[in-house]
Amino acid sequence: MVDDFDDIVRSPHWLEVSVSVDGELAEAVSELISRFAANGVVCEQGVEYDAAEEHAMPVGPVKVFGYIPVHDDLESLKQKLEEGYWYMGRIVELPPLQYRFIEDQDWMQMFKEHYHPIPVGERLLILPAWVKQEHQERIAVKIDPSMAFGTGTHPTTQLSMVMLERYVKPGMNVIDVGCGSGVLSITAVKLGAAHALAVDLDPASVTATRENGARNGVADQIEIGRGSVKEIRSNFFNHRKAPLVVANILTPILMRLFDDGMGELVTEDGMLVLSGILDTQRDQIVERAQQAGFRLVDETELTDWIALAFRHG
Amino acid sequence: MAKKFKAIVKLQLPAGKANPAPPVGPALAGHGINIMAFCKDYNGRTQSMMGQVIPAEITVYTDGSYTFVLKSPPASELLKKAAGLDRGSAVPNREIVATITSDQLREIAEAKMKDLNAYDIEMAMRQIAGTARQMGIRIKD
Repeated sequence: MVDDFDDIVRSPHWLEVSVSVDGELAEAVSELISRFAANGVVCEQGVEYDAAEEHAMPVGPVKVFGYIPVHDDLESLKQKLEEGYWYMGRIVELPPLQYRFIEDQDWMQMFKEHYHPIPVGERLLILPAWVKQEHQERIAVKIDPSMAFGTGTHPTTQLSMVMLERYVKPGMNVIDVGCGSGVLSITAVKLGAAHALAVDLDPASVTATRENGARNGVADQIEIGRGSVKEIRSNFFNHRKAPLVVANILTPILMRLFDDGMGELVTEDGMLVLSGILDTQRDQIVERAQQAGFRLVDETELTDWIALAFRHG
Repeated sequence: MAKKFKAIVKLQLPAGKANPAPPVGPALAGHGINIMAFCKDYNGRTQSMMGQVIPAEITVYTDGSYTFVLKSPPASELLKKAAGLDRGSAVPNREIVATITSDQLREIAEAKMKDLNAYDIEMAMRQIAGTARQMGIRIKD
């Protein structure tokens, strides 16, 4: 456990030092601040999605942060830092360092303030694992937001849950492609599905789904595996087809999954629920689904995201 | 799962020793990231690299979820190692504290290449040379 480390600096108060600089200067400024700050430094930068490359691109200035424990030597340390920074500023012009005192806090608990129970659709409730359920009339899906996607706060997750609420029939099997935290498989089982197959390429998602399944008391009804459409079609798992298949991923990946034969996972007359689609990408998905033998039967939207439900055949 | 990006946070931490104290706590709590989960994961993945500074680059999404990848040690760390220094110069515009060869510079640039926004090795070398200059390290041809 991380608490075992006795050489970590702890302090009741800290002086936060920060400055925004161009990307190229961040290294040298970080190195300077790290001489005075305890436990390492942090650089934060804005980010944009590069659609062409399909990955995140850092944009704008880099904000460098360091934290100095408040003690008797603070003023002299601060002076040395300012001197070093001044000399660096003689080579390239630099903005002044910003200072702010902060109290030490229970940082581990702080993130929990970001999560609250969220009612979804007519009957569902997303419940952070540490919150006691108040809306007894709703079906609670307990999620511990950690590594994998699907904390339940994102519109695409909520849209998928609304569609599951409409189309899960008691006793049916469900396949969840790109399961993330497992939130959709858990929802399906809680809505009465007999069995869910949850797959994801990310091993962290496999672990998160297993933990969240146990947390919700539905672990026995969810088969979890690493993979995607291809692996399911190659009989890696106990189910190869289901009357309801749900995939909450991004549009470019959904398009690729169609190429891999996602449509083949849905039984004749079964349903395919797709989410992670921006309203501007709707027609592209509808056209591709039609080519694969599906017709659009339902759609729902939240902010600029939509979810689409198709029937096979 | 659909994702909308919020920020990229790069933590330069001692390998195997992440803990909720600053800088990790204040840097991540504001983004709604589960700090304990991050620390466990980071320490697990960097345990074998103890004694080095290993940056973790975290991509934060608007829903508070995140992914992270480990990066090579910062160029400044590699420069200090190559130059046999504990720290950079206090007065880099006046005092040259060490000299490294252009071969050493190339080696560092090669090690950092995949983490830099550089099209070729020459550009990577120029970026590393800039960091070296600001640390008071001279490059000998």
